[in-house]
Amino acid sequence: MSESAVVITPSFDQPALLRSLRLIPGMALLAAIGLLGKVTEQSIAGYGKAHHLALPNIEYVLWAILFGLIVANTTGVPSVFRAGVATYEFWLKAGIVLLGVRFLLGDVLKLGGVSLVFVAVELTISIVIMTLLGHWLGLSPKLTSLLAIGSSICGVSAIIAAKGAIDADDEDSSYAIAAILALGAFSLFAFPAIGHALGLSDHAFGLWAGLAVDNTAEATAAGALYSDAAAKFAVLAKTTRNATIGFVVLGYALYWARKSHRQSVQNKAAFLWQEFPKFVLGFLLVSALSTAGVFAKPQLADIANLSRWAFLLTFAGVGLQTNFGQLRKQGLRPLVVGAVGECAIASITLALIFGASRTFGLF
Amino acid sequence: MPAPQRLRRFSLDWFAVLAALVAAALVRFNLLPHVPW
Repeated sequence: MSESAVVITPSFDQPALLRSLRLIPGMALLAAIGLLGKVTEQSIAGYGKAHHLALPNIEYVLWAILFGLIVANTTGVPSVFRAGVATYEFWLKAGIVLLGVRFLLGDVLKLGGVSLVFVAVELTISIVIMTLLGHWLGLSPKLTSLLAIGSSICGVSAIIAAKGAIDADDEDSSYAIAAILALGAFSLFAFPAIGHALGLSDHAFGLWAGLAVDNTAEATAAGALYSDAAAKFAVLAKTTRNATIGFVVLGYALYWARKSHRQSVQNKAAFLWQEFPKFVLGFLLVSALSTAGVFAKPQLADIANLSRWAFLLTFAGVGLQTNFGQLRKQGLRPLVVGAVGECAIASITLALIFGASRTFGLF
Repeated sequence: MPAPQRLRRFSLDWFAVLAALVAAALVRFNLLPHVPW
């Protein structure tokens, strides 16, 4: 879940209409960059076909992210666009809910169950690795906790949720967010390349991306860069991982409350519900409706296409919100901890998937 | 988590679910033209 460097806190003294109008320029920018990515993909493919050239098929996903990265890291995103650009998180979640039509509920439960086993292992490994690395490299304990939460569950939104729960400094959470975002951007390029080099199946790659890429937007994009089917599996694995956010943040909140003698979480069930990503329920509902035959076949295709349009805006937003200059300002140590930890997590999850594939013939 | 942030998370998630369900309903009842890709 996610995930924005440009976290917009609504200003409640503004009328709703004015707040909505402020979103339009940024949303138009997302659409323009996304469409430019799509047109670039089609133009290159068309040129190759017309001139009988075997040009590599570079997906619109990569173009949209690249164009967004160029804007964010050259001219920067002007303030008039920022509120609208931050809506990419909304498009991501709406896209995931709509993607539910492409899953039968039985498959979701079966694949989700398999993913859950991997998620449990991934959570444990990530937390242990990040905690040890943070300790060895002398990061503050709260920054270490934030990095562990961010890398184990779902990136920036987990860090934002945990910041309040463990009473961390703004500086620590900015560090952790910047590191997680930069590593997510790197994963986008590295994961598909490694997947192709190893000849991973769509299912295996999707599961790997969903387990090891931190932000939901980046995990979805990494899957989509590999294949359409891999994107489906990446979203499912990542959504399963997101669903555990409440438990992990609650665990850290209780730990820090005890350590700093603060008042602990009173109502744990309410806390878990508050932190639970509600769009997962929407995804399950749409999948259930699809399984029950509520939609005709052409309607299923239309809803799947709506999901793709929502993701198009998301991918443009992923590029636009990644600012490498901001990361340089934050210092190198958190990035080193994040990078070493992420490499270890990516290697271990890949080994797990390989192991399961060989032993149980799962993928 | 401060109240505005909690509200933002709440509204964003539910709002995304609501928007997606409305879009799916529009397709279901043929109120949205064919969606190409």
